[in-house]
Amino acid sequence: MSDDWAIALERTLRNNTSRLDTIFADYPFLADHAVRLRQAKQKALDRLDEYVKMTCESVEKSGGVPHIAKDREDAQRIVKEICGSPGIVIFSKTNVALELGLRESLSTQGHEVWETDLGEFLIQLANDHPSHIVQPALHLTKEMVGRLLHDKLDPTVSASSSYEDLVAAVRAFLFKKYVAAKVGITGANAVAADTGSVILVENEGNIRMDTVVPSIHISVTGIDKIVPTLDDAFLEAQVQAAYAGLYPPTYINITSGPSSTADIESKKVSPATGPKEFHLVLVDNGRRKARDDPDLRDALLCIRCGRCYFSCPVYWTIGSEWSPPPYGGPMGAMWSAVVSDDTRPASLCTHSGGCKVVCPVQIDVPKVIEHIKWLNSKRETT
Amino acid sequence: MDYRKSQQQLSLVRNVVFKQLLDTYMPLSVDRAACARWANGLPRVGGTIIYTSYMYQLGSVFKSYAKLLERFSGVKFAARFTSLGGVFVRPKKDELERASLILNNIVSLLKESHVEPAYLYDEEPYSGALLLELGLLDEFQTYGRKLLDFLHARGIERLITVDPHTTNALLRLKGFLGADLDVTNYLQFVRPAKGGGRFVLHDSCLYSRYLGMGPGIRGTLKDSGVSLVEDRMVTAQDTATCCGAPVESLSEELSERIAEARAAKLTSVCEDVLVACPLCYQNLSPYVKSIRDVAEVIS
Repeated sequence: MSDDWAIALERTLRNNTSRLDTIFADYPFLADHAVRLRQAKQKALDRLDEYVKMTCESVEKSGGVPHIAKDREDAQRIVKEICGSPGIVIFSKTNVALELGLRESLSTQGHEVWETDLGEFLIQLANDHPSHIVQPALHLTKEMVGRLLHDKLDPTVSASSSYEDLVAAVRAFLFKKYVAAKVGITGANAVAADTGSVILVENEGNIRMDTVVPSIHISVTGIDKIVPTLDDAFLEAQVQAAYAGLYPPTYINITSGPSSTADIESKKVSPATGPKEFHLVLVDNGRRKARDDPDLRDALLCIRCGRCYFSCPVYWTIGSEWSPPPYGGPMGAMWSAVVSDDTRPASLCTHSGGCKVVCPVQIDVPKVIEHIKWLNSKRETT
Repeated sequence: MDYRKSQQQLSLVRNVVFKQLLDTYMPLSVDRAACARWANGLPRVGGTIIYTSYMYQLGSVFKSYAKLLERFSGVKFAARFTSLGGVFVRPKKDELERASLILNNIVSLLKESHVEPAYLYDEEPYSGALLLELGLLDEFQTYGRKLLDFLHARGIERLITVDPHTTNALLRLKGFLGADLDVTNYLQFVRPAKGGGRFVLHDSCLYSRYLGMGPGIRGTLKDSGVSLVEDRMVTAQDTATCCGAPVESLSEELSERIAEARAAKLTSVCEDVLVACPLCYQNLSPYVKSIRDVAEVIS
């Protein structure tokens, strides 16, 4: 463990634990929300094909365009076709896009691609890998961020600049990109099957810009993010924010189709001020196979709050090296098997068990990992 | 991450240790009589036995398992050798003496609770916990059937375990195979006893976060007069972590780095560390000046 990693991690652990203790003391109903969310997600997994179909129909009904991508190559092809000729493409922090290599794929096509989540932007500038699913730049101390921005973005900031000045430097840069972007690509915290709505939770305001300013909005997400109803989707947004230590979230965004208005004689017209196109790309990439494995299936309940990372001594020790990005920590040991068919990270799990204790949707993470260890043990002799 | 080494180690365990277990009921050839010498006076036959699985007697051997496997194999790849039969490991004298004190104290605590266990002495088999914890579930169940047959053939109905890994392994075995066998850890029998001192308790991950024994152990210690220092970031159920021992046989370096970090956190709370597991003791000892087992502070 490098000194910088140890310092950054220790600060984060203390801040995160303290914030969570306060959140659950102030908003005790969130634990019940998490239980209800688990039930909703189980229901969606039980009837996944039905809910995928319902989601696609709902998206079409709201004027959007649904797409199904079976794997990485399929997703890259679909997104390239939507983006068209080279231009500026802005990303919110979307782990599925990282899983699929969309940023690199679009760059190769000649697009100018920018991450707009601060942490992910720093990772992009540093040509680095995310070290945490919610806080991708967790391994960078303030001083490291100052040096990075000084070298790559704005010579007026430095290692000794204030937090506020560092954030302002990025904000000034990204604002120029927002207004010039032709496509905004986001993920989804949840997708409501009954309305085709995409729910995104955030604090920075970048997702709001990504989903509204460019003329095309593409949401790329896994089929595991589908929940039966819009009510369930809001539950997921609240639970994800709370267990990530950021409750109430500054923003919860809902997108149901392209922009529209009914201000003239109640006639619905699209587009209005916002995007003229909305695309939802639902990605399989190993998820259906995992759904059909009863011992792996619960991995799909994960809401990506990243809390399990902070309870895991293996993650504390080897950080993002443990499993292929973007998925790390205990959830990464599960998800490497789901999307990369890589069972090796699970073998290093020490069954410390904190991941099970802290998981909001009560995934028995060590049990899932034990199953992946078993899969791995079958492979290593063949 | 380069997984070549850990995958090779996994092959070693699978190909060699499993075979050794099937042949001898032990993961390595050891002086079993020396390991059993602590128990002079306990009956050899009985429906209830104290089951050590050699965890206290051979804790340091299990800690160095990765090195032992590699050294004795003489090659890096497991496929090229098939047996550890010629390898004989001698337990350390100091460790056996300490194990003797701990195990005899556990027997005394059990007797206080009106439990009179028998002991299998040098016939005692290893539990197979290593196979389970590495995810070798088929091998664990295969060996487990053999183990259960062995126990049933001796009329054993109740096992009193003394460490978390054995307790967990046997309970899981019951779950897998539906065995009619009572498995109870000694700490579940022990009534408040005599004790003292001020410690930070490093919970066994299995006791605390799998077997639901954490509050009971804390209660027993406190009621016995042991003072425990708690810290939100170090000893709470959601912030405490394991000592790294379970991954030792695949990655010694990772195991030791985890242990060092855990020891630093524990000693930041209190210089005197208390553990409830022989593997935690072994893994944390190099980084903690004052460390003791629960069975060394209550009697």
